[in-house]
Amino acid sequence: MRGDVRDALKRWLGPDAGVLDALSDQELAELHDALSAARRHQARALAAATDEAMRQLPPLVRASVGRIVGR
Amino acid sequence: MARDLATKAELMKLARALHTTPEGVRFAASLEYEEIRRLRERVTAALYDEHRTAFQRVAAITRLLPTAVNVRITLRAFTPFLAARVAGEMAPERAAELANRMPVEYLAEGSIHLDPRRAAPLIQRMDPDRVLAVIRELVDRTEYVTLGRLLDAATSWIIRGVAATVSDEALLRIGFYAECDAQLTTAVSMLPAPRLREVVHTALTGPLDLRSAGLSLIGRLTDDRLRGRIAEYAAEADDDTLTLLLRTALDEDAADDLLTALTAMGERARHRVLALPALADHDTLARLLRTPH
Repeated sequence: MRGDVRDALKRWLGPDAGVLDALSDQELAELHDALSAARRHQARALAAATDEAMRQLPPLVRASVGRIVGR
Repeated sequence: MARDLATKAELMKLARALHTTPEGVRFAASLEYEEIRRLRERVTAALYDEHRTAFQRVAAITRLLPTAVNVRITLRAFTPFLAARVAGEMAPERAAELANRMPVEYLAEGSIHLDPRRAAPLIQRMDPDRVLAVIRELVDRTEYVTLGRLLDAATSWIIRGVAATVSDEALLRIGFYAECDAQLTTAVSMLPAPRLREVVHTALTGPLDLRSAGLSLIGRLTDDRLRGRIAEYAAEADDDTLTLLLRTALDEDAADDLLTALTAMGERARHRVLALPALADHDTLARLLRTPH
C-alpha cells in the first residue's frame, strides 16, 4: 500500500488511531477517499454558508467581519 | 452479545459523519462495532476541528454584542449549519441564551450539525420546553441518528417529556441509534409499565426495522431486570408474532440478542417461547445454533 495514504489518515485522525491497523490496504484507500470527499464537502458547505452570511451583513460591518473570519 | 444490529447502526452513523451512504462505508464493515464507533469519533473530531479557528473568532465577536443583536444577526445572516458550528465554540450558557430565542425549525436544522462533543452542555442549559419542541421537530423529520446522539445529553425531565409525546415507533428508532447503552437503559427504565408494554408490542408487530430495533434494544440494556421485564412482555405475544421475531433475529444475525432475551425472562415465559413450533423445525434450530455467540 502506498505509505502516503496511511500517513494522510494518521495526520487527519491522529497518530494513535489504532483502528487503522485493523483495515486492509484496500479498505484504507476507501476510507481515505471517503474522508477526502467529506472534507471537500464540508469546505464547500462552509464557504457557501460564510459567503451567504457576508452578503447579509451591512457593508460597513462586512469588511471587519471578513478580516476576523479570514475571508 | 451479538453486535450485528449495533454494527449496522454504527455503519449508518459513520456514513452520516462522512456525508455519504451506507454503501460508501463498506470499507468499515469488517470492523467490530466498537472499532467503527472509535473510527467515527476520530472522523467527527477531524472534520469538526478542521475549521475551528474561524468559528472561534466568530464566537468571540458574539461576546461583544447583546443577546438580542446576536439573535437578529444570526437569523438574518447565518444558516443553521453555520450557526451550529459557531455555537459549538461559544460558552454553553451564552449559546443556550441565544438558542432560547430562536425558532424551533432553525434549532432543529442546526442540531443536525452541532458538534456532538459539545452538544450536552448546551442542551442541558436550554429551556427544556424548547428542547422538547426541537426533538418533536426532529422526529417529524425522521432524524433518528441525530436524536440517538442527543439522547446522551437529555435530562430526566426531557426523557419523560419525549416518552409522553413521541410515538412508539419513534422511540424504538431513536433507541436504535442511541450512543450510550447506560443512557438508553435509563431512558427505557423511565417509561411507565403500560407504555413499555405498548412499545414492545409495536416492535413485535411492526415492520422489519422496528423488530430489529426491538432486538437491538433488548441486547443493549445494561439492567438485567429491565431486560427480563421486556422479554416477558414479548413472550405474551402469539406464536406467529414470536416466530416472525425469531426469523428476524436469524435473518439479521441477531440471534444472540434473542438468546439474551430468552435468558432474561422468567421460567414460565421461557417455556412458552421454547414451545414454539418453529423451534421444533430442524433447519431453524440449526440456523439458531450455527449463529456465533
